[in-house]
Amino acid sequence: MKYIYQWSLVLLFGTMTACDSLLDIDPEFTQDAENFFNTEEDFDRAIIGVYDMMQPAYLNMWIGEIASDNAIAGGESVNDSRGLHEIENMTHGGVNEELRAVMRVNYTGIARANYIFENQEKVDFEGKDLILAEAKFLRAYFYFNLVNYFGDMPLIVDRRISINEISAAPRTPKAEVYQQIESDLRDAVAVLPWNVDQTGRLTKGAAMALLGKALLYQQKYEDAATVLGELIDTNQAGYALFENFETLFLAQNQNVAEDVFTIQFSGLQGGDYGCLVCLNGNAAVGFQSIRQYTGPVYADGNSYNLPTEDLYQAFEDGDIRRDASVLDLEAFIAAQPNPDEITYAIGGGGHTGYFNNKYIKRLDELGLPDNDLTSPLNYRAIRWADVLLMAAEAFQRSGNDERARTELNKVRSRVDMPAITSSDDALYQDILQERRLELSGEGLRFFDLVRTGQAAERISGFIAGQHELFPIPQVEIDLAGGNWEQNPGY
Amino acid sequence: MKNVLLLYFTLFLSASGWAQSNEIIGTVTDETGFPLPGVSILKLGTSTGTVTDIDGSFSIEASTGERLQFSYLGFQSQTLTIDNSTELTVVMQEDVSNLDEVVVIGYGSASKRELTGATSQVKGEAIEKMNMPRVDQALQGKLAGVNISTNSGAPGGTSNIRIRGIGTFGDNDPLILVDGVIYDAAGLNALNPGDIESVNVLKDGTAGIYGVRAANGVILIETKKGNLGSKPQLDLNGYYGVQETARQLDLLNAREYAILKNEAFAAGGQPLPFANVELGEGTNWQRAAFQQAPIQEYNLTVTGGSEKTSYSIGGGYFAQDGIVGGSKANFERYNARINFTTQLAPKLKFTNVLLFTREESSGLPQGGIGSVLYNTINAYPTEPIRVGDRYSYLENVNDIINPMAQMENTYNNSYVNKLVGKEELEYTINDHFTWTGRAGYNFAMVDAKTFNPLVWYGPGKFANSARNANLDPVLVDVGGLEIERGANVFESRNTFLDYNLETYLNYNRTFADVHRVKGMFGLSLVGNRSEGLNGTGFNIPNNDLDFADISANQASGGFLNNVGSFQSRQRLTSAFFRGEYDYKQRYLFSAIIRRDGSTNFGPNNRIGYFPAISGAWVVSDEPFFNVSGIDFMKLRASFGVSGNDQIGLFRYRGLLNGSATYVFNDLIVNGAAIGNTSNPDLKWETTYQTNIGLDFSLLGNLDFTANYFVKNTKDLLFQPDVSALLGAYGPGGAPPVINAGDVLNRGIELELGYATNRSEGVNFSVDYNLTLLKNEVTAVPIGFEFIPGAAFSVGGNVASRFEKGYPIGYFIGYQTDGVFQTQEEIVTSPVSQPGAQPGDFRFVDQNGDGVISFGDDSDRTSLGSPIPDMTMGLNLSVDYKGFDMAANAYAALGQEIIRNYERQQPYANQQAYWINRWTGAGSTNEYPRLTTGATRNTVFSDFYVEDGSFLRLRNVQLGYTLPTTVSQKIGMNYFRFYLAANNLLTLTRYQGFDPDVGSGNPLFAGVDNGIYPQARTFMAGFNIKF
Repeated sequence: MKYIYQWSLVLLFGTMTACDSLLDIDPEFTQDAENFFNTEEDFDRAIIGVYDMMQPAYLNMWIGEIASDNAIAGGESVNDSRGLHEIENMTHGGVNEELRAVMRVNYTGIARANYIFENQEKVDFEGKDLILAEAKFLRAYFYFNLVNYFGDMPLIVDRRISINEISAAPRTPKAEVYQQIESDLRDAVAVLPWNVDQTGRLTKGAAMALLGKALLYQQKYEDAATVLGELIDTNQAGYALFENFETLFLAQNQNVAEDVFTIQFSGLQGGDYGCLVCLNGNAAVGFQSIRQYTGPVYADGNSYNLPTEDLYQAFEDGDIRRDASVLDLEAFIAAQPNPDEITYAIGGGGHTGYFNNKYIKRLDELGLPDNDLTSPLNYRAIRWADVLLMAAEAFQRSGNDERARTELNKVRSRVDMPAITSSDDALYQDILQERRLELSGEGLRFFDLVRTGQAAERISGFIAGQHELFPIPQVEIDLAGGNWEQNPGY
Repeated sequence: MKNVLLLYFTLFLSASGWAQSNEIIGTVTDETGFPLPGVSILKLGTSTGTVTDIDGSFSIEASTGERLQFSYLGFQSQTLTIDNSTELTVVMQEDVSNLDEVVVIGYGSASKRELTGATSQVKGEAIEKMNMPRVDQALQGKLAGVNISTNSGAPGGTSNIRIRGIGTFGDNDPLILVDGVIYDAAGLNALNPGDIESVNVLKDGTAGIYGVRAANGVILIETKKGNLGSKPQLDLNGYYGVQETARQLDLLNAREYAILKNEAFAAGGQPLPFANVELGEGTNWQRAAFQQAPIQEYNLTVTGGSEKTSYSIGGGYFAQDGIVGGSKANFERYNARINFTTQLAPKLKFTNVLLFTREESSGLPQGGIGSVLYNTINAYPTEPIRVGDRYSYLENVNDIINPMAQMENTYNNSYVNKLVGKEELEYTINDHFTWTGRAGYNFAMVDAKTFNPLVWYGPGKFANSARNANLDPVLVDVGGLEIERGANVFESRNTFLDYNLETYLNYNRTFADVHRVKGMFGLSLVGNRSEGLNGTGFNIPNNDLDFADISANQASGGFLNNVGSFQSRQRLTSAFFRGEYDYKQRYLFSAIIRRDGSTNFGPNNRIGYFPAISGAWVVSDEPFFNVSGIDFMKLRASFGVSGNDQIGLFRYRGLLNGSATYVFNDLIVNGAAIGNTSNPDLKWETTYQTNIGLDFSLLGNLDFTANYFVKNTKDLLFQPDVSALLGAYGPGGAPPVINAGDVLNRGIELELGYATNRSEGVNFSVDYNLTLLKNEVTAVPIGFEFIPGAAFSVGGNVASRFEKGYPIGYFIGYQTDGVFQTQEEIVTSPVSQPGAQPGDFRFVDQNGDGVISFGDDSDRTSLGSPIPDMTMGLNLSVDYKGFDMAANAYAALGQEIIRNYERQQPYANQQAYWINRWTGAGSTNEYPRLTTGATRNTVFSDFYVEDGSFLRLRNVQLGYTLPTTVSQKIGMNYFRFYLAANNLLTLTRYQGFDPDVGSGNPLFAGVDNGIYPQARTFMAGFNIKF
């Protein structure tokens, strides 16, 4: 009997151990995060994940306009997207979903790029340097966004950060972040080709343009003039202004010679409001379109980000860019053969009568449902006209008025506007004004006003010394251990 | 592994024999002399026994001095000692106190007398009598400590079963076992309530015999089995009924609507929409949407048994149409069941259970914006239902579509085929040891088909799938090619297999007549495997349901069509032991230990141990106990640890399941990105429960049970918000899951039963149960304030939370203190409220800083909780000379509901209470002004929270049974017919359709997005036995 008990104990533990081995199962058909980067294909797939994080560009397109004198927030009501309304009124504070999204999106992009750098030594193959150069460009782009919004931001490079390290991550001085941006972009310029066989891939030209922009934003005018001047002079990609400004923003004219750095979108994948960062369509477009519109040419949207009267009036008479950039809806309707049959609604969040005519839903440019979210319209982060105007500004500021006028007047001559002949500060002001007219509705205005010191005079409610930077979302300060100091004034 | 087990258990084999004896013959009858078939007779101290035949007769070998035990369900057991006579007449006494009723516990059973844990039981007849489509609906109000709330009253709609409160914001479903086979709570639709013999609920720590699956309690359902030696009995039951809505909302009619909207637009500084407000009643959308709908059920069962084999075989059909949508929201169920048990060899018993179900159902969009009822409530009365030959467009509102058109365009069908079975062998090794081995399986194949025709609900509607009113398809550009995106059909087939292999050994021995020792040791392997495949085909010809199949798709180049699949598997290996000891059945002790290993956890925390102990003291058996009138009194106590492993698959791992898509060459390309962030230390949620209970019986016909419990759930899973720096917020990304957070549930349960048992005259029985419950979140992770729950309104504030110091899912918002009557009142108010105008709510300054802050939490406060403080159920039945009457009432008190079905949109219709709006100083201090302009009156405040308490008469029934003499003349042994009504009456102050607003997710409970109400049903039915 004694043996029976002993044997049963042995058998008991034997069976238990045997059973435990049944527990060693892995998820099927799923790749593990720690067991990746074994092939070239893995790198190819990982870089797509980094590109993906540029698609939430709608945040720049909205905030860059709404915060400026170009647009109001609009929308269904003032309670809808409250964060944007607060930004419009310069009453924004530490609780702001849109600003939190800016921070999350850009740091996710950085983490995805760093995930590649962390594993860059795992395997060698031809073309790896290209992927790493793309990753550097993208990391620089995300950091550039962050410093523009928030100033000093923690700099994390070449590896993912663990949850335990967060509270020890201080805000890195903006200048240091810019150093990283410049070095990443210079590396990218050195490796990326002028021309790519897949539209949408980053190029040397894009890297030079973004580097020039980063230098300009730091007021390193001479360096900016050098980089941008070289881009314009060498221009092996054949960049040029698109002939017809009025049709430049139609879907059919995407990825043309004017495109330097463009974020690509597609209407071929559906989407819903539950996850805007998941979209492959350009979310800004539907949001900015005419509420409950039925009629020709355009399609209905959510009446966000509405251009102001001030912007409309800023255009000189005869400037075709006015109507191509700002849609005067009532005037448009009146000009149609059947104005009585055209209807639309006014949102409770504000109404100016104007709509962004560059990024707007047009009947023949719809994506899959919900087509408010799936516009195929690409976002031109930097286009050739912007390069020329940035170059003009950099040359003017570094004392070369003549070259400045040359670049500026290229942009004006495309839209048949008379050449500018001014010099010195008047020329500088002309260049800045030209930026507003040429680039309105493209999410650049607020940052232009801030970096050129015009924000306080142009934006009502803007307090100098405070509103140059947005507040870091309070919850992010808390989640990072509460050690960061909030930006001044908030 | 099975071989090992078999070998292991054969070691316990030993032989036993017995002496020669005489043949004893006899009959067993009830008190009226009616012979009882199927009474089991056991020679005590041996495993020899028999059962009575159809005439109540038996014969057994026994010698003088040996004792025979007679037992039969519903009767008191009795033991006789054999004397010199060889003929016995045994009269069984009916058991009123039900103390000897057998209750199913894990891996065994026990009489109520000897239970040490807190369990409750409901008999099959009580469930069947409710005429509810689902067993969980029938359980509402039947069991103390078991709260049932309804997710939807639609046919096929589900309920939530919550045993002793809500312990987690994750999965709160109890473990449900049907004849020992795992049955998913969501799949209960497949179970025919008419097949059920009993429902047993293990509520306290003694449920820990099920270890890592037991934290939410365990429900053991037994299906009907036959009795040995009984002649075949055929039961035929059926009913037919008509359902209707019990309530419609009081909405504005066209005239009222026009007046109020004019006022609102004027206040918002906008042109008045209605030049003429005398528009009369207008359209009553609710009248159009609600309809009367049939419900019916028929069941046929044959039970019986020979000397060695018993069986119960049955079939059933159930069908219900929706009170909204009719056949577009229907549910049909076909059931078949074969249960039999047979004695394969003298010591070897084989049991087979086989339940087959086919469900066919169709559904409408429900719950919130986009649902049919939401559209019905918010559609405005100035619009007719139809304009010319088409449905009206309701053009003023973007996101509200014509509900009648919506119903017509919805084709959403699903089909479930489900097979649940068990094969079990029970081997009686000797007088003391019994070995059981079984295999159970639950296989479900779920097919779905949704046809999405091209539809046009009017300009700008979010739900349009066509390009225009001519139903031209949208054109999409695929890499430069323009393609029509026509009607599409989505089809899916998912299969789910749950299986369990279990073996256990029971030991039962009494020493010196007073020391009884019981032991049970077992091993089990539980697993599941799920697989699914789905596809969508576009450009269905003619936009027509007749061609709604993927095979008919005409998508050019197949570009738009797409496919998907999933698969998953889980395993749980367990060893468990229970030891019991009692002295004279007066002092009882029990101890449990279970070891579980689950694939849901990382290697660092894969194995868990779950102990429980319990004891009971039958005070009334003490010599000193001499209280007249108290027949029985027992004190119980238990403490146990159990777990909840239902936390999702592989959440401990970091996976490349993030979404990475970008566009190159105008086509979407897929890449890879990190999704879930890993946490190898992840483990189960753990519940520690203490229970103290008291049972007693009075005067032979009054039973009383009380329990007090404290249930502490720890290590809740959190996916805390993490710093943006971690980069966890890309598409498909998710922060790591960690164990943190505690919830405490405390409560008192009372169960009272009273029944008379007269052979003539009026018989009367009452069951009453009461549950008092307090739920509180006691810890959240450091640096974490709360988990946000449901949003109020569309894109509005988060209105419910999981937060320390409050019940799970409590409501948080602004407290109102009347309405500002004048500008002066606003100016002179000590509290400044930004944007306030006369007619606006005056909010309470909770933090006393003199400013109402709308940007943060400082002035928000608790506005109630969706968890009832008290629930109770009352079951009454009376019978007299063939007439019977029964009623069942359920009450839930002390919970709140958020009225979240009102679209705050300028043109949406509104409820009639807005007639009492503020119109000027002194007009009202309760309702705010109406305006389309900016206002804070629409932020989430107590104005949108209502008392959700209700009392519902769930079932009343009036029946008549023909006297046996009459029914036998028409060839039946029994014939009863009845009239019944479900949800006849609901007493509540809540204004919505139905105050029984549940949610599977506890953070969304009590948020009424326009719940599909439970129907009021009038039925006529019959019960026949042949």
